[in-house]
Amino acid sequence: MTTEKNTTTRPIYLMLRMKPPWVFVDEIRRFVESFCSCACPGETREAQIALAVHELMQNAIPHAGGESIDLTLQVDPIADRIEIAVSNPANDEVFADLKGRLDRINNEPDPLRSYLRAMAEAPMNQRGGLGLARVRFEAQLELSITREGNRITVLAWGRLRAPLLQVHGGTHV
Amino acid sequence: MSNPSHPGARAPAIQVSEEKYSASLHVEPLGTRVQFRGTISTVNPAGVLNPFVDQVHDHLLKAGAKDVRVDFTELEFCNSSGFKSFIYWIQKIQAAGDKQYRLRFISSPARKWQRTSLLALSCYSPNAVEIG
Repeated sequence: MTTEKNTTTRPIYLMLRMKPPWVFVDEIRRFVESFCSCACPGETREAQIALAVHELMQNAIPHAGGESIDLTLQVDPIADRIEIAVSNPANDEVFADLKGRLDRINNEPDPLRSYLRAMAEAPMNQRGGLGLARVRFEAQLELSITREGNRITVLAWGRLRAPLLQVHGGTHV
Repeated sequence: MSNPSHPGARAPAIQVSEEKYSASLHVEPLGTRVQFRGTISTVNPAGVLNPFVDQVHDHLLKAGAKDVRVDFTELEFCNSSGFKSFIYWIQKIQAAGDKQYRLRFISSPARKWQRTSLLALSCYSPNAVEIG
């Protein structure tokens, strides 16, 4: 018999498989925010997790080529951990480009500094260049990428109970 | 239509709208307010928003504005591609020399993403950004 205690001591999973188009991204973001509110009552990370899912999905869609995109969200209140995985088909060039961008972001220890650099360098009249740095700073999640066969997976993970976002000068939200 | 705070003046018809979002400039007694509404999540919103920013910026320079309220209270979400239009706006302000003005953002407490996004924007340009 499943008890209430049992349901709250296990990691909670959400798995979605979807195909483009863009129109679903907003619905998924809203659903994830609502899901996290229900899965982790009392925590305050739902908007940050929803933002991260949105950005990772939007990164994946242009490369999916009509194939499926998989989203796995795991929240573990006991382990104080959140994990988001978004996978999609991608060729060698896409993987290398994305890995290069992630390496550059991760090589900067300060997420805010890498975000500000992305703001300064991102092309202003075309899409791209900001989303991953935004996830790392605004959602307070670490990022990595793996490849298996013709599919890549971008992984974002971090604490469920993240500390207040601090920046130089003491501002926090 | 006449603007009550500026007799004889007309509110400029600067606005854009897409299926899921809109942006418009309003001349009000408290000063100029630029309102963003809806959900900015299309593939490349800069194609719509940057020309709007250009028009708003030109209007503010001609008016000699010292600040402008940027109203996010009805903006549900803005993706990173849309967010770049605000960076683009700041870059235009930074290039305006002695005609620079400040963006005073009005956020919605219910939209939690706005706090972190505006915090980052204020770090990008503390002189041009104020969070209300």
